[in-house]
Amino acid sequence: MLHYVARRLVAAVPTLLGVSIVVFLMLRLLPGDPARIVAGLLASETDVETIRHQLGLDQPAPVQYAQFLMRLAHFDLGTSVRTGQPVMYEVLARLPWTIELAATSIALAALLGIAGGVVAALYHNQRLDVVISALMLFGISMPVYWFGLMLIVVFAIKLQWLPAAGSQDPGAWILPTLTLAAFSVALIARMTRSTMLEVLRTDYVRTARAKGQMERVVIYGHALRNAMLPIVTVIGHQFGTLLGGAVLTETVFGWPGMGQLLVDALFARDYPVVQGVVLTFAALFILVNLAVDVLYGMIDPRIQYA
Amino acid sequence: MKRRAALRVLGVAGLASLVAACEVGVPQTPTETATDEPTAVPTIAPTEVTVASGLRLAIDQDPDTLDPAGQTNPIASSIVEHLAETLVRLQPDGSIGPGLARKFTQATDGKSYTFELRPDVEFHDGTPLDAPAAALSLNRFLDPQLRVSMRAPFDSNLVADITPLDQLTLRIALKDRSRLFLQKLAATELAIVSPAHARAFPDSYNEEPLGTGPYRFKERRKGESVVLERFDGYWGKRATYPALQFRIVPEVATRESLLLANQVEVIIDPPLSDLPALQNNPALKIVQTPTARSTFIAMDLTLPGGTPLAIKKVRQALNYAIDRDGIIRNVLFGAATPLDAPMASTLVGYSRVGGYGYDPNRARQLLLEGGAPQLQLKMLYPTGRSLEETLFAQLAQAMAGNLHDVGVDVELIGADWATFLATINVPADKGTAHMHLFNWAPALLDASQQMTQFVRSQWPPAGLATSHYWNPKVELLVSEAARETDDQQRQDDYAEAQRIVWDDAPWVFLWSPSFLLVHSAKVQGLTAAATEKFSAAYAEPVA
Repeated sequence: MLHYVARRLVAAVPTLLGVSIVVFLMLRLLPGDPARIVAGLLASETDVETIRHQLGLDQPAPVQYAQFLMRLAHFDLGTSVRTGQPVMYEVLARLPWTIELAATSIALAALLGIAGGVVAALYHNQRLDVVISALMLFGISMPVYWFGLMLIVVFAIKLQWLPAAGSQDPGAWILPTLTLAAFSVALIARMTRSTMLEVLRTDYVRTARAKGQMERVVIYGHALRNAMLPIVTVIGHQFGTLLGGAVLTETVFGWPGMGQLLVDALFARDYPVVQGVVLTFAALFILVNLAVDVLYGMIDPRIQYA
Repeated sequence: MKRRAALRVLGVAGLASLVAACEVGVPQTPTETATDEPTAVPTIAPTEVTVASGLRLAIDQDPDTLDPAGQTNPIASSIVEHLAETLVRLQPDGSIGPGLARKFTQATDGKSYTFELRPDVEFHDGTPLDAPAAALSLNRFLDPQLRVSMRAPFDSNLVADITPLDQLTLRIALKDRSRLFLQKLAATELAIVSPAHARAFPDSYNEEPLGTGPYRFKERRKGESVVLERFDGYWGKRATYPALQFRIVPEVATRESLLLANQVEVIIDPPLSDLPALQNNPALKIVQTPTARSTFIAMDLTLPGGTPLAIKKVRQALNYAIDRDGIIRNVLFGAATPLDAPMASTLVGYSRVGGYGYDPNRARQLLLEGGAPQLQLKMLYPTGRSLEETLFAQLAQAMAGNLHDVGVDVELIGADWATFLATINVPADKGTAHMHLFNWAPALLDASQQMTQFVRSQWPPAGLATSHYWNPKVELLVSEAARETDDQQRQDDYAEAQRIVWDDAPWVFLWSPSFLLVHSAKVQGLTAAATEKFSAAYAEPVA
């Protein structure tokens, strides 16, 4: 197992390199001049050129990329064009918040999603199933932006129970988590429901019931356990997506996560920060996929890793 | 059996979620007195704002840096001005008054200034303010190693040297006379920092600046908040609130929610569509300040292959076609004043020229006379996350509607700020759109800075005179005014130049947007200026 993990980590390096080249090229293809943006509208042409030189942006692109790679080898992601701070510092200042939001959201989504999916499968085509399926549809279609603001109006303004924004006050994580989890709950519940339906029809489940097993053991010990593989895949994939794609929720709730950092940096053409953040996301995604694969091995004893 | 199992599953899941959410605090105990007014926006009477808790403000962007030298925008500058102060200060009437220098004089030849500093002023690190310290701070600003976006006119082309004459007297010698020297000295970038700050950060920014202001830096969480605490060694009037928390909330609806939920006391840039409701809310007060900013549609006079907008009558027609008052009423909800000159009225050197009223018939007539009764034009506008940028899309559509009514079909093209800037910042004959919606605010509130939009030497890429407009008479007047020492003559020069530009209409002159902040009615003493900077240094609870 350890061997497998090590090999996967080594294989991640060329992937990350590929990501870095693509991001680097795409950024340089975008119209927009970082030096002018940083200098501001009122700066003179000489000021802009000086800043361009100070930022190393007057060098040819391959030279810039080579410099970027050399810094990367020392785990130095470069310096932000806007703030002058190391990109690593900017990323690390926000990474814990992104991870916290994504982790609580996925935990909530997994709990509610699996529970809902199992119930919907057990009550297939009856009222409970219809209700849960309708809720799933709602969760998938509801715009994050609208749902988040509605939660703020209800819980922060009307009831005054929770903070409307920020990450510091106690309970500030609740509304963003609910908002972010809505979509994932629906996906996970959907997958759980359909896999459970398949599994509940299998011979071994029928046998288990015929043997006289308690219903609880049949559902959890046999059915759900066998359905877990696709469910875990969806959960893992959603976790990766939440890590990278929470910018709307972060904007609505003023949550200081990496999504906002990325979008702000992109609008300002802060190349080093965009490169650094995208690489971080890629690395996180690779790690999450690896964790999911390892989890497979733990759930299904038939899966062996050389 | 199945039902019981299912219920148990739901029960466990529900309980687990509750346990996970058990951090929900006990509801705070506000005295919720519902108001009688049936407004669409929920209104709640504010809780007691105690002096002990500090003042909370919500702004829309995280400052790139807190070092005075790195300041480029008014919101971040506003925060920094609580921490660090300048030698002189811009007064509300546009003149220059004392700051850290209680007296200042200009030599008769105009090429040097002497500043007498206040005694007994301390920096936040306890060191005293004296002339050598001020000189060190200013020399740090001059050093090209330090990245400064807007040095001019305080740069090595103008400043000859900075000499402490004695402990509290500083002399700055210039290579030439400069009209805007004092205005620049009053800008946030030139706030005086302590010798320790200047020595430790000669070529980079200090994120924990050490100035002389009524507040000192306490804590910063990137993307979330900046917290300042009261400096008890301040030389001036002691601030009332022990702390100021600037919370960064990019979403405008969330900022308003924070205010309505009593989780902040002040917000900058409220949503304009909610202004009527906010104005009717007795628990809130709105501070609306005229600015130095002009919003306009710049027409590119030198498109490759020619442009119908090169004809003056066509440009004037577009000016008559826009219903400024209607748009200000319906899209901006009153938060702007129509322009009656090529610059905002708050600028020094402004001179009222007159209005292009809303006259669609005259517009159609002028288009006929200009030989272009049916036009198809492309208009660029910037898009983005800030309140201003979201408004631009609505404004562009409203104006396209006005223009359609007079026979001009406008294709609207939105681009993010960086792309927009790159597209308009091109030399003559390289433009790709007939016109673009833009705004411009001279940092030093002076007509000379606004008039750079109308001279050839500032055509891109040298400057941002993106309409590529040129009139030799205007060039002459502007360069004469820059050198003019007689105030009245300069005023006359600018007045004449503005009259010509207004008539030539290289822009569709629109309006000057107001700067808005909204605060709880239980707080007073918040101020805002035409520079779009605000201050909470003298805020206090209403008695």
